[in-house]
Amino acid sequence: MSHGDETVHSSDPVLRALDRARGVLPDQGPIGVFIHHNTLHAYQHLSFHDGVQAGARALGARPYLSLDEFRAAWRRGRIADDDVRHEVSAFLSSRRDDVVVPGLSRGTLWHAMMVTPMDTADAAGLEFDIREGVAPQREDQPLWAACLARVATAPRRTTALAGPSPRRHRDVLVVLGGDDPDMVVHPELIRLGAGYLDMGQARAELPERQRGFLMSVCALYDRGGRAPRLCRGVGDDMRDVLGAQRSARDVIAHCVEALGVDAATLDDFLFDTALALPGWTGMFARLERHPEDHPHGPPVSLADFVAVRLLLERRAVEHVASHLGAPSAWTALRTSMPTPQSRPAILDAALLWGAARAAELAPSTVRALSDAAVQSLWQACDECTDIARRQIFVEAYERSYRASILDALAARRKLSSDYGDDRPVAQFIFCIDEREESIRRALEEQHPRFMTYGAAGFFGVAIDYQGLYDLEPAAHCPVVVTPSHEVHEQPLFTDLGWHAMRLRLRDRWHSLERRSAAASRTLGGGAGLSFLLGPVSAARTLVHVLAPRELHLLGTRIRARLAPRPTTRLSTIRPEAQPTQGGRKPVGFSLEESVDRIVATLTNIGLTRNLAPAIVVLGHGSTSVNNPHESAHDCGACGGRRGGANARLFADMANRPDVREAVRRRGIDIPADTWFVGALHDTASDEVRYYDLEALPPSQTAAFEVAFAALETARRDSALERCRRFDHAPLTLTPEQALQHVEVRSASLAQPRPEYGHCTNAICIVGRRELTRGLHLDRRAFLVSYDPTTDRDDKILERILAAVGPVGAGISLEYYFSSVDNEVFGCGTKLPHNVTGLIGVMNGHQSDLRTGLPLQMVEIHEPMRLLIVVDASPEALLTVASRQAEVAELVGNAWVQLVSVHPVTGDTALFERGAFVPYEPRPTLLPVVERSAEWHLRTRDHVPPALVRAALPITTVGPGHYTGHLTTSRMLA
Amino acid sequence: MIEAVQVALAVAVLAPIVSVGWVGLQTMLADRHPSESQTVRIVGTGLVASVLAGLVVLAAMLGAAGPPVVGDIEFGDWLRIGDFLIAGVLRVDGISVTISLFSSILTALVARFSRTYLHREPGFVRFYVLLGLFATGTQLVALAGALELFFAGWELIGIASAFFIGYFHDRAEPVRSSLRAFATYRFSDAGLLIATVTTFEFLGSARFSAFEGAASLPSGEATLLALLFLLSAMGKSAQLPFSGWLPRAMEGPTPSSALFYGAVSIHAGLFLLLRVWPVMEASIPARTVGVAVGLATALYASAVVRVHPDAKGALAHATLTQVGLILAEICVGWTQLALVHLVCHAFLRLGQYLKAPNMIHDTHRIGHEPHRPSLLVRLWPGMEAPLYAAALHRLRLDERIDVAFSPVLAAARTLDRVDRWLRRAPRPRDTSE
Repeated sequence: MSHGDETVHSSDPVLRALDRARGVLPDQGPIGVFIHHNTLHAYQHLSFHDGVQAGARALGARPYLSLDEFRAAWRRGRIADDDVRHEVSAFLSSRRDDVVVPGLSRGTLWHAMMVTPMDTADAAGLEFDIREGVAPQREDQPLWAACLARVATAPRRTTALAGPSPRRHRDVLVVLGGDDPDMVVHPELIRLGAGYLDMGQARAELPERQRGFLMSVCALYDRGGRAPRLCRGVGDDMRDVLGAQRSARDVIAHCVEALGVDAATLDDFLFDTALALPGWTGMFARLERHPEDHPHGPPVSLADFVAVRLLLERRAVEHVASHLGAPSAWTALRTSMPTPQSRPAILDAALLWGAARAAELAPSTVRALSDAAVQSLWQACDECTDIARRQIFVEAYERSYRASILDALAARRKLSSDYGDDRPVAQFIFCIDEREESIRRALEEQHPRFMTYGAAGFFGVAIDYQGLYDLEPAAHCPVVVTPSHEVHEQPLFTDLGWHAMRLRLRDRWHSLERRSAAASRTLGGGAGLSFLLGPVSAARTLVHVLAPRELHLLGTRIRARLAPRPTTRLSTIRPEAQPTQGGRKPVGFSLEESVDRIVATLTNIGLTRNLAPAIVVLGHGSTSVNNPHESAHDCGACGGRRGGANARLFADMANRPDVREAVRRRGIDIPADTWFVGALHDTASDEVRYYDLEALPPSQTAAFEVAFAALETARRDSALERCRRFDHAPLTLTPEQALQHVEVRSASLAQPRPEYGHCTNAICIVGRRELTRGLHLDRRAFLVSYDPTTDRDDKILERILAAVGPVGAGISLEYYFSSVDNEVFGCGTKLPHNVTGLIGVMNGHQSDLRTGLPLQMVEIHEPMRLLIVVDASPEALLTVASRQAEVAELVGNAWVQLVSVHPVTGDTALFERGAFVPYEPRPTLLPVVERSAEWHLRTRDHVPPALVRAALPITTVGPGHYTGHLTTSRMLA
Repeated sequence: MIEAVQVALAVAVLAPIVSVGWVGLQTMLADRHPSESQTVRIVGTGLVASVLAGLVVLAAMLGAAGPPVVGDIEFGDWLRIGDFLIAGVLRVDGISVTISLFSSILTALVARFSRTYLHREPGFVRFYVLLGLFATGTQLVALAGALELFFAGWELIGIASAFFIGYFHDRAEPVRSSLRAFATYRFSDAGLLIATVTTFEFLGSARFSAFEGAASLPSGEATLLALLFLLSAMGKSAQLPFSGWLPRAMEGPTPSSALFYGAVSIHAGLFLLLRVWPVMEASIPARTVGVAVGLATALYASAVVRVHPDAKGALAHATLTQVGLILAEICVGWTQLALVHLVCHAFLRLGQYLKAPNMIHDTHRIGHEPHRPSLLVRLWPGMEAPLYAAALHRLRLDERIDVAFSPVLAAARTLDRVDRWLRRAPRPRDTSE
């Protein structure tokens, strides 16, 4: 990864500060391709707690949920009290038994301060509650009186109610009552920056933008730009910059000097200045490092943006300061911050009251406390900081959940995992995505010989894929991989004529749409189109809002009737003889390369023997409308794109006789009567689209029909399971109605939640599916198939963890941060979002560029670090970590939780502080249900693990559970 | 027949606000907000009732049962002070029924859209309450038979509009924008208020049916009246120099932006001019001003829309080009054309606003038109930078208005200071209490 290492090479203080900022600024590219990543990736070299606290401090964000949120979770039992006590003890270690005041140990004090709001800073609120008689203090009036009396004469707690110390001029100026310079500077910067970066939304582009941001802005001001009133004089500054052709670095240095920032504070000042408008600044930093993200854009540089910012800011600060009569030099201004108020006595009394309650002190004892004892209490309270308590809480929050999962896994392991050795009826290979857990479970419930597997959704074929109508190839593989092959979708020879004609018509139609969209904004065009299209558009909008699904189906049907998509094939195999043209990637794979990929993927997931007659490979993607974040729902393992092409390619390769022949020589026997079918599972509408069914041999139809019918049932069951999370879907829906409900969601303009995406993800299980099959995991587990018995030198485990670790951690951490602080790390509610320059969204008419995930995507998430449970011995995991630096960093610095379950003995061990610590699962009786719907349709809330009898082996639950869902239904086109 | 029409008119106007009252009653009785589905059911019923009643009025106007009902429908006196009488009168004619149905249908559509769009939003109930208020406001504006009732509706629209802009009141920017829109409305509404009183003086009645008498007014009086009407229309329809609040109005949730600034509210000023057309017709100077303002706004907005890289801001200005154009059409005298243009344009924009978040999706599907210099720039390349800068800064309209009003603000601040000083002075009587 290009950022993250904080080694700074520059000796120049300005460039050094910018480098530092670059590491912290949001690293999200243009929103059209959304890739989940650790929001605080730059801090990954620190331990999790140090990293999130440092990152949150720099960005002014919350590193964890708030104490109130944790306390609410504690009250409803989500966090067990034992776990809180355990984590407090672990945090304080030997100091937990210190005596703070007679009768009160440090551990007890901390526990009390965690679960009760005794150290509130809201004096007015407390007074109100006491006056109204709703404060807990009413329960023990004499004690409260004693506390008030004692505090009146005791030494006061010195912690002042200070806000954060000022970082920039505006922080002081605003407190002094002046105008906020940012209110003038930011709108100006946003308009200029958005115009500069625009990828094609506006009709006119910023003049001379090839000269770079600084120069083009200066030129604009030189030729008629009028500075805002509060920035008077900036026009001359810009003319000066333009005339002398100053570099951005010099401009920054000059402005900083003019703002009176001395060498000692320069680094922090510039760092905070760059972080003052993090979204836009971050986009400049990102595009500077990744010019390929906006292929036809102008040159971008972070220094340019900061330079323009400082030019404007300097003048604004000067005007505001002189208006107030305050100094504009930072060295002088920062000391003129008014002193904060002192701490009201009632807050100290409340703290004493809380401590007295925790220690069960009598009022007389409180009155008799010595000054030294009170002092010692204040000191102990000061040590128990807000952040420390939240850090303990998050550990307890994770601990409670982890225990429930590990216990359930251990309980499942005690049951049989022997599904017999007959040939499976059908096998399904899904992406590891936790959203596929439900559909996999739904398949497994139907027949003991339906097997499902999980592989990273690009199925080992990293390609630059160009679909029939794509303008250029795009990478379909994890972001860390650079594909070395292109694959194109090509029409069949018989359809070539129709393809050419359809392409022409399509181009013409799109150009018409484009031009009318552009024309509707012009004076004349707008008038003409109003008369021409106004009524039609109104009718269409009406239908779209009232019957989105029907309109979508109608459109699909009409297109299929009037202009069907030509039949296509992929350019899978490249003839050995065909030379690659100079510098371009080869199109298609050679026989040898295909064989490598088939063997690798089948070996990775442990599917090396006993292949079923029908094997369906399902990539996934998501369809929604009116959703700027649509790409965030697509496949992370395909680089934020859809995995259908990869599944199709994989199946096509595996079906070729010559490939099979070579694969057989490497020890995997693909029987002649096995057929692979590639498909795309739409995680929003739960539609499954199959590829290349025309090529299905007639002898295989019956076998495929069984798999097809199973998927038809499973996608309905899965839709039903998803629907329980949506308030607008009653819990009493039938599977068929549930499917219609999610289809409406996917097609509706008015739907900000087409699906919940990766929301609620919490676990990643790497191992044999037999050991977890039949366990209801509530769509919260990434399921990676891995068979330790065939992996002799841990090479497969290494491959899997190297891919899954960072991808899973990226998703989990992005969700973590976007849920703990949705306003800073996330992008807030979707409703006022305004798509800007095709690169991102703003709130309303002009705001910072909003990065991260919207509220609607994370609202039911439980922010925890990913719990990775691996079916491998601790030694194997340590070996892998020693070879894979990124995995070692994530695990060693505790950005994920790693658990080893020994493949043979089943012993469980959790990686903690540098070593595996054995975990003894508590004996657990899991609830047993016949089908998973009986379990999850009871509530809309998260459900704990349960056993699903229908998916367990016959030997476990006796015969007679076979549910006979295998009626073949009519094939969909 | 008249009775039926009376009932239908009353339902069309009152059903939405009664439903809002019902929601309020539920809130008070249960001491908490009604659930989302309850709110939608109640307000939705009100809005649908309003649409159905509008259809009944339409049928009656077209003469579906008996003779066509057209003209003033009396509801008695609203207020009587001496010989000063404010009549409760609604008016049924082609324009009023068209606008009434058009706005009630669009409001109902947006209500349906928002049911899922605003799901789980903390201000869900507030949104529907405002929607109900707005619906009654538009019905009053559309159907009022006299300026007084019209003004009441006009104010309801203004209030609802300001609250919608400030919908996300936990952030500072929406609140600031809301305040700016509200202040602009207050300023220009003064025009309508003065015009109402003046009409009463000049014509003896503020009924629209009495406006026919405007032709005989002395040209000075007619021009004064017409300019006052024009002022209030300019504020409501964001014409120059009041255009600054329109892009800021994009702070609200997308469906309210669509309803207000794409479809209904932005066109209200134009509708006012159509209603008082006899007065406008009588004053050539006012019409000239109107044409100039409309065309200037249209040109200004089409320059701004070219540089706007954000979806909603560009749409706001695209809307403004047509609103300016329609204003010019009205003032030229092409009122029929203007009415059709207005309705068709609102239809076009509503869909565009509702689909604004789809911009990235659309670009992936159909690509985008390349950057292209305008005709003016192709003819005169030297104009590129100044034009771009002026459009990007939007002529710094807000700032100029702030400067123009700074004496007022300074006076207010002085008064505030005096007030504070007076309060701070020791007042013996206070201490004795």
